Amino acid sequence: MFFTYLRRELRRRRKAALVVASGLALGIALVIVVDSVSSGMGRAQDKVLQSLYGLGTDMTVTKAASPTPSTSDRPRFRFDAQEDGSEEEQSTDRVMVQGFQTLAGTTVGKVAGQDGVADAVGGLSLQVVKVSGQFTRGQFQQDGSGGQGQGGGPGAQQAPQGRVEGGGADFDVNSYSVYGTDVTEPALGPLTSSAITSGRTFKESEADAKVAVADSAYAKEKKLRTGSTVTIKGTKFEVVGIATADSGDAAANLYIPLKQAQTLGDAKDKVTTIYVKATDSQRIDGVKSAIQKNVPGTTVTTSADLADTVSGSLSTASSLAAGVGKWLSIVVLAAAFLVAGLLTSSAVSRRVREFGTLKALGWRSGRVTRQVVGEAVVNGLVGGVLGIALGLAGAYVVTAVSPTLQAQLGGGTGGPGGGFGGGGMGGPGRQAAAKTLDVALTAPVSLTTIALAVGLAVAGGLVAGGFGGWRASRLRPADALRRVE
Amino acid sequence: MYELRGVTKRYTRGKDTVHALDGVDLTIADGDRLVIQGPTGGGKSTLLQMLGALDRPSSGEVVLDGTDLAKLPEARLTRVRSESIGFVFQSFNLIPTLTAQENVETALVPLGVKAKERREKAAEALTSVGLGERLGHLPGEMSGGQQQRVAIARALVKQPKVLLADEPTGNLDESMRDEIMDVLDRMWKELGLTFVMVTHDSAIARKAPRLATIRKGRITVKENAEA
Repeated sequence: MFFTYLRRELRRRRKAALVVASGLALGIALVIVVDSVSSGMGRAQDKVLQSLYGLGTDMTVTKAASPTPSTSDRPRFRFDAQEDGSEEEQSTDRVMVQGFQTLAGTTVGKVAGQDGVADAVGGLSLQVVKVSGQFTRGQFQQDGSGGQGQGGGPGAQQAPQGRVEGGGADFDVNSYSVYGTDVTEPALGPLTSSAITSGRTFKESEADAKVAVADSAYAKEKKLRTGSTVTIKGTKFEVVGIATADSGDAAANLYIPLKQAQTLGDAKDKVTTIYVKATDSQRIDGVKSAIQKNVPGTTVTTSADLADTVSGSLSTASSLAAGVGKWLSIVVLAAAFLVAGLLTSSAVSRRVREFGTLKALGWRSGRVTRQVVGEAVVNGLVGGVLGIALGLAGAYVVTAVSPTLQAQLGGGTGGPGGGFGGGGMGGPGRQAAAKTLDVALTAPVSLTTIALAVGLAVAGGLVAGGFGGWRASRLRPADALRRVE
Repeated sequence: MYELRGVTKRYTRGKDTVHALDGVDLTIADGDRLVIQGPTGGGKSTLLQMLGALDRPSSGEVVLDGTDLAKLPEARLTRVRSESIGFVFQSFNLIPTLTAQENVETALVPLGVKAKERREKAAEALTSVGLGERLGHLPGEMSGGQQQRVAIARALVKQPKVLLADEPTGNLDESMRDEIMDVLDRMWKELGLTFVMVTHDSAIARKAPRLATIRKGRITVKENAEA
């Protein structure tokens, strides 16, 4: 009887049922879209962060910020001027440690020894600037009047009078990044954010070998292939593989074994960044505190810290989804629940005689209430199905359109070599003050979201049924019958 | 057997108190047939609600077979209604979305009768009131007389001790009125029910063996020798 009655009533009150279901559907659809877009934002952010520090890294350790290095640390280039007519090309390159801040190699071991650290690996980021070209000497042209001594006094030697003409320089500056990677720990570090698309990666036996892996974009620009040779500060490296970044830009233009990088950068047993993997993702904050406490002079940066430095439209949209979207969903849902409740309560008012008659026939209040709640829950489920369909359609449209969001990273925080502003977790290719990446937004709908929608539908039905059921349970049969007389 | 002793029912309407029943004493024997008459607002329907355990008196006793209904908790009153009392209303009060058979079944639901048995009993009851061919019809597809017959079948399907009818012919024309009264009289005789009916219809009242009149909440009962 329960289901027969329920079915007939819902069929009879199709329009009212549809209004209730539509209200709930709208709220549920909004929740799905907001939830999936938020999830998409999260993925986009993860993608951005992953492109910076690679897979598996929970935090990075860099040297704490210190004052700007003195001018003596800055690279200097010296060229000899050539005789006029000489076409000999001169070239010189300087290899600098990114951010000029390094940690002792022993720090890696100290960090690895901290409680909660599963693995730690050091890397050295280098920036190479190569200047090459021709530098010609100017010609002195003497005028006829002779010269006058600088001293002007009697007896002073007369210097020739004239001017320098011609001469100059025609040079090219090539700047690229090199990352020294610990070849014995291939599972951690920036190279993990790239896939080897040609050749191979490093072998563990190549800890001090003159081999390199080139980023695909850089390789294309410089026409490098597997088997090619690149020269860094006079040392030739064989390109053994080409790596393509999973998203965004690669961490470095060239990857070489750590020892080789330390030699090139004149930074023996030094690293710029330590990549750390925690034993448990729940313990990241604890591990961070432990490292900061036990390894002084370091800056520890987690992915959460890095996420805070993401700005641009991705950040704005993410904030909107988390703020406005969430509250809009809550308000719409609450309104939908309230409207559903009021409509159900109003429907009970219109059915006073019906329920009064059933009570006169001996139906208990509980049975009448169950009937009302049952109808409301079915309405809620219909709303849920409509809402899920609508929400999936909305999420599909967002994914199909894939609006591009910009993520600006590391703007303004940290000093050179420390924190995100200076690269920090960014690794070799990210030492610049700010980096802009384009990320396509998707709206993935998870099973959890669907379960949430179903839960909301049932909850909506129960809330509406609660309103109506409460009203139905309070009906006294005599009052119910009297009201229609 | 009903025994009403000093039954009073007061309603508050704004600042006024209305005495719907004012010290009613009444005895109705098993198998009795009582017709209640009186002016509108005199207390007829209120008295019927007291008899039907639909409402409680403000004071006094409504005793059915030795049990004072006024003192029973709501759950027990509900059980009394479901087991012992059948109702027939002026406006039929059928559930519009349920068929004739399903409407009759609603009276068996609180008794926990299984679905199959419910269907059989409902069909039997409808057949007994001449609607054996109309089991699957909705109330909207039937005439007023037919709807009232469905309501009678619903009241009687559970074989109650008491049948209470509130203006059962009030919404019917004369021919239908006679038809319904014939059905009710037949059922009363066949089933040995205690039958209490409120009516405005003097033609019906004249045929009643006992006639009660309620005016301003006070009742007078007289035996009808002609009936």
